[in-house]
Amino acid sequence: MLLKLAWRNIWRNKRRSMIVIGSVMVGVIALIIIDGLNNGFLSQMLFNQVDLNISHVQIHKRGFHDNKVVQSFIPDKKKVEKILRKNGKIKHFSERVVSFGLVSSAVSSSGVFILGINPEDESKITTVSKSIIKGKYFNGKGREIVIGSKLAEKLKVDLGGKVIALANRPDGSIGSEVFRIVGIFRSPSSNFDKTYIFVPIKTLQRMLGIGNNIHEFAIVTQNYNLAETVRDEIKQELSDKYEVLSYHDILPLLIMQMDLYKETMYIINMIIGLALIFGIINSMLMAVFERVNEIGVLMAIGMKNGKIFSMILLESLLIGIVGTVFGVFIGLGLNEILSVQGIDFSLFSKSLESWGIGAVIYPHLSLENLITTFLMIPFITMLGAIYPAWKAIKLEPVAAIRYV
Amino acid sequence: MEILRTENVNKIYRDNGVPVQALKDINLKISKGEYLVIAGPSGSGKTTLLNLLGTLDKPTSGKIFFENSDYTSKNRKELSEFRLRKLGFVFQAYNLIPVLTALENIEFSMMLLGIPEKERRERAMNLMAELGIDDLADKKPNEMSGGQQQRVAVARAIVNNPLIVLADEPTANLDSANGSKLLDLMEKMNEEKNITFIFSSHDKQVIERAKRLIILKDGQIVNEN
Repeated sequence: MLLKLAWRNIWRNKRRSMIVIGSVMVGVIALIIIDGLNNGFLSQMLFNQVDLNISHVQIHKRGFHDNKVVQSFIPDKKKVEKILRKNGKIKHFSERVVSFGLVSSAVSSSGVFILGINPEDESKITTVSKSIIKGKYFNGKGREIVIGSKLAEKLKVDLGGKVIALANRPDGSIGSEVFRIVGIFRSPSSNFDKTYIFVPIKTLQRMLGIGNNIHEFAIVTQNYNLAETVRDEIKQELSDKYEVLSYHDILPLLIMQMDLYKETMYIINMIIGLALIFGIINSMLMAVFERVNEIGVLMAIGMKNGKIFSMILLESLLIGIVGTVFGVFIGLGLNEILSVQGIDFSLFSKSLESWGIGAVIYPHLSLENLITTFLMIPFITMLGAIYPAWKAIKLEPVAAIRYV
Repeated sequence: MEILRTENVNKIYRDNGVPVQALKDINLKISKGEYLVIAGPSGSGKTTLLNLLGTLDKPTSGKIFFENSDYTSKNRKELSEFRLRKLGFVFQAYNLIPVLTALENIEFSMMLLGIPEKERRERAMNLMAELGIDDLADKKPNEMSGGQQQRVAVARAIVNNPLIVLADEPTANLDSANGSKLLDLMEKMNEEKNITFIFSSHDKQVIERAKRLIILKDGQIVNEN
């Protein structure tokens, strides 16, 4: 009955309650949009890198990740392949030769990562093949090369143009090859577009004089969340001559940033909650002062302070719950629309692309933060009623009954 | 059987720093089943005395005993519990909870006692039928007349079988016909259920029906019969 009484008390002054519920609702919508945007921002920063190049899990010879020397080959390619094929959690994998070198055109040159790939396998691992804006993704034969748009601008080359790639061979000599540009890609990361070039794996192996050796296996699992499980499973089957890394290991700073962001959301919740709390205090104080006489009667008929206190807190909590529920529904609806359409931040495209995010951000809500908002905002709303409730129980029954 | 006793009760208010003696040396003994009216002109101390007897206020000096237990030294929580279990109140302005129906208003004090919903509903309905107000069950206070509201207030006051019902000017806001109907009801409850009623009133028809009358003047009992 206390709940019924509290609920009905809220609607005694519909306009005032609707204003407070509206303010809670706006706060919750703002939190959902902020969370969606921030989370989308960080997720895009992380997953663009994962999808463009990193993949979910990588296997190298131990030490290759920190020191990419050309002679650090995968010790037993066949053995690794066998292990990968029998793991049901792995969707695709691709062999890579990775080298750091120089690419030159007639007018300019630039330091780049040269990736020797099998395009058919690699197209299942990364999104580069889908990011071609000119020409095509190569077929993996001959001296074809795919480069980024930023690099093409820097080298002042276009489709059909020739570039020379140079890189160290294991014996210390320089390997070189002339390539014809068959495709130019544009990814969400301007840095990636400037520093990565893709050539057929056989051509790069020949250029570096490394036979059939490779440096890396790039693996895509059934979903992102399986990356660490798959890493651990592969690790168990390989000796310590190998290093097996998930994208968490390769991009630790971004993962830390995402974890830190979750903590930040608590603070943002608190700030919005604090902004709301003053409105709640004001509204609940008015509600208490309007009912001084009635509170006096409740005291006279034997309602204890604890129950009166709870009733006022409950009224505020109900306002918070109603506002939060509506806010979550509207916020989720808006988030759903924005997550499909994306929010165009072309005005800031330069800086966003340098962060590897892309000019369009697709909001992405985290369930954890949504639950935090759902629990925290009604709780904060309830806290806002503590002072008015305290004022109520400090009333003297005789004075309260006579209060006009 | 004596249920209530006051010993040299005094109440002094401060009005802008000036002490005002509202009650002076009140000595009273009230037995179970009494139908007592405290009468007197405005400012004589009727409501102050009723508030003290209702444990809503404390005397400046003197003691008040309920069933031989001193209630002037009890704390707020104990007094609240006592009022819930032992006292019923009927106010001049009815003071029903506006957001609850008549039935819920009557149920409310049973809810505070922790009586299960089914039982309290049954008890409230039975009492309403007994008082002839069962047709008001689903009506909210603003849908009832003053007389109807005051009858519901009486039901609320007696539903927990209190030791004493304190009624402060219960007929003041009613016309004489409705006032008379209300008094009939309270008399009936006094006679049939042996509930003790203490009224404060200067309404002639309340005073005429008193089985015991105490006249107050300037905070002192000047006549008792």
